[in-house]
Amino acid sequence: MIRFENVEKRFGQMRALADVSGEVKRGEVKVLVGPSGSGKSTLIRTVTRLEAIQGGRVLIDDVDIASRGVNINKLRQRVGFVFQAFNLFPHLSAIGNITLGLTKLRGMSKPAARERGLEELSRVGLAEKADEMPGRLSGGQKQRVAIARSLAMDPEVMLFDEPTSALDPEMVGEVLAAMKRLAAGGMTMICVTHEMGFAREVADEIWFMEAGRVIERGKPSEISASPDSRLAAFLRKTDTGARR
Amino acid sequence: MGYVFDLGSVLSGQYLNWFLIGIATTFALTLVAWCLAMAMGITLTLIRMIPFRPLEWFVALYVEYHRNVPLLVQIFVWYFGVPSLLPRVARQWINAHHGEFLLAAIALGLAAAAYVAEDIRSGIRSIPRAQYEASRSIGFGYLGTMGYVVLPQALRIAVPPLINQTLLLFKNTSLAMAIGVGELTYRTREVESYTFKTFEAFAVATAIYLTVSFAIMALGSYSGRRLKLETR
Amino acid sequence: MIEIIQNNWLLFLVGQYPHGPIGGLTMTMFMATVSLALCFPFAIALALARLSSHRWLRLPATAIVHTVRGLPLIMFIFWAYFFSPLVIGRAVGGVETLIIALVVYEAAYLSEIIRAGIEGLPKGQTEAATALGLGYWPTTLKIVLPQALHNMLPSMVSQFVSTIKETSLGYVISAHELTFAAAQVNNVLLTQPFEVYGILALTYFALCFALTSLARFIERRISTSRGGTPGVAVLA
Repeated sequence: MIRFENVEKRFGQMRALADVSGEVKRGEVKVLVGPSGSGKSTLIRTVTRLEAIQGGRVLIDDVDIASRGVNINKLRQRVGFVFQAFNLFPHLSAIGNITLGLTKLRGMSKPAARERGLEELSRVGLAEKADEMPGRLSGGQKQRVAIARSLAMDPEVMLFDEPTSALDPEMVGEVLAAMKRLAAGGMTMICVTHEMGFAREVADEIWFMEAGRVIERGKPSEISASPDSRLAAFLRKTDTGARR
Repeated sequence: MGYVFDLGSVLSGQYLNWFLIGIATTFALTLVAWCLAMAMGITLTLIRMIPFRPLEWFVALYVEYHRNVPLLVQIFVWYFGVPSLLPRVARQWINAHHGEFLLAAIALGLAAAAYVAEDIRSGIRSIPRAQYEASRSIGFGYLGTMGYVVLPQALRIAVPPLINQTLLLFKNTSLAMAIGVGELTYRTREVESYTFKTFEAFAVATAIYLTVSFAIMALGSYSGRRLKLETR
Repeated sequence: MIEIIQNNWLLFLVGQYPHGPIGGLTMTMFMATVSLALCFPFAIALALARLSSHRWLRLPATAIVHTVRGLPLIMFIFWAYFFSPLVIGRAVGGVETLIIALVVYEAAYLSEIIRAGIEGLPKGQTEAATALGLGYWPTTLKIVLPQALHNMLPSMVSQFVSTIKETSLGYVISAHELTFAAAQVNNVLLTQPFEVYGILALTYFALCFALTSLARFIERRISTSRGGTPGVAVLA
């Protein structure tokens, strides 16, 4: 469903992505890991053209997203994006954040949108916080609202850019739980994360990136078993999620 | 030499009327100029959003002119200068229809508009890029992003500075006295020259200005507190 | 327009001197500079008083600043006009009156800038000074104020620009400055008010724009050199 073909991206002189290729089929969960600056966030951001690429192609359902006829706004509605910094709209309540897209982009009526919004909030366990303003929510709650906001648009794929990195440790679990439920439900997902427990449990494949390239790919079970792998070494060094 | 503080004589009969007319004129001038300032300020903001260099320069020049030329001089340019450029018919019309008031209001309004435009622009600039990204990620285009996400937040941020501009506008109406507009300061001088009670007359005017100013300042801090959003 | 400049540039520049008092642009700059310089000690005093922990200092200072902010400058000019002769005991000329009014007015606004500069300093500065055993005055004079003033330099230049613009109100009390000079020229020429006042506007514009640009330049230099932010700038 999503395919990267020889993707190249530069920031000035710096090569953020170098000849990156790969595929994410429908229903698959891919997890991207790697040290800071490895390009994993940049890669995921190219999918919705939050970052422009200088070489190669990114295809969604075999359509090059950079090609002429593509309506980027419609495309983005099909792809959900969850940010490290949550990025809720502070002037709207939790439910307001969710219904904004439904009423203005999907043309839903206010009551129908509210109903749908409450549905999504229940799914992440926050129905009772519907009318709270983001400023009064905890980090974990904000991120769950952000996930609900993306899900309300009925995306075909969900992208997560380090969704738990900005959270206090005690809140990471609730967000990961929501993500695991999504994966179990068959959602196509690409996650950039440091939470290796999550990756081991849920990922179909882990991509290890370094300096803008995908160095290694493998199923979680394969990687732990192979002692030479660079990824395994990286995992041993940084493992935060063994107990999650 | 003894001096008796005689407020009563200054606030009676004809003189009280003059003060009241002065206050009314000040308020009228403030209101008209304020409406012009907001309309023009918003227009300038919208023009700024058009990605066309000459238009950006125009707005920049507008702002710089009104910020670097003294307001009194701007009033003179409008009152003494502009009519001399207009055809006689226009000049006659202006003279017959409270010319000084109109031209003062125009000068004050257009000058304040420059600051209004800057305050709104600051508000917009303070919105982090992440908000744009979040909005675009849901599928909003540029207009949707500006209309539903950025401007609602930017305008909230701009309210306290805009209330401050209103305060400045209110105080600046006093400059109109230099071209004969009968606002509060002008009337105060009238009362003073007729009654010779200089201290009392100016004390009254001072009290009025301070009362209104403090009310506006209070409104400013109140709105600042109420509109504050915790952002993330 | 060029003709007007050619014929009257001296009047714009120095007023009626030598056939009368110095006026024009020279007097404008003189008044602005003197007013700002004279108000400085008062501004610092007001700022420190507003930040003081002693109520008997803080409340009056706050009241003074709010009162000045609540009145138009022209009211101060008239107060000074009518009452400085009484207080000083002799007739007071337009220029002196304007300077008195400006000193009071500017002191309040400048004190707000200085206060913002002081408050903008990291608390660590005063904490370090206290830890070293320095008392209030040495801390304030040697550590707090120098840094605050340096950081607020762009805002102070901005305030200087405002003062220059404010001198134009001298016209109302016949103080011989630039606007008054322009009005005199207009009274003689009568038929070209737009050109005369246009020249006046352009003169102020050139002067103030140059100074504002200087302020912005200083602001950028401060940002890069000390790695600190200039205090809440009045510039945009």
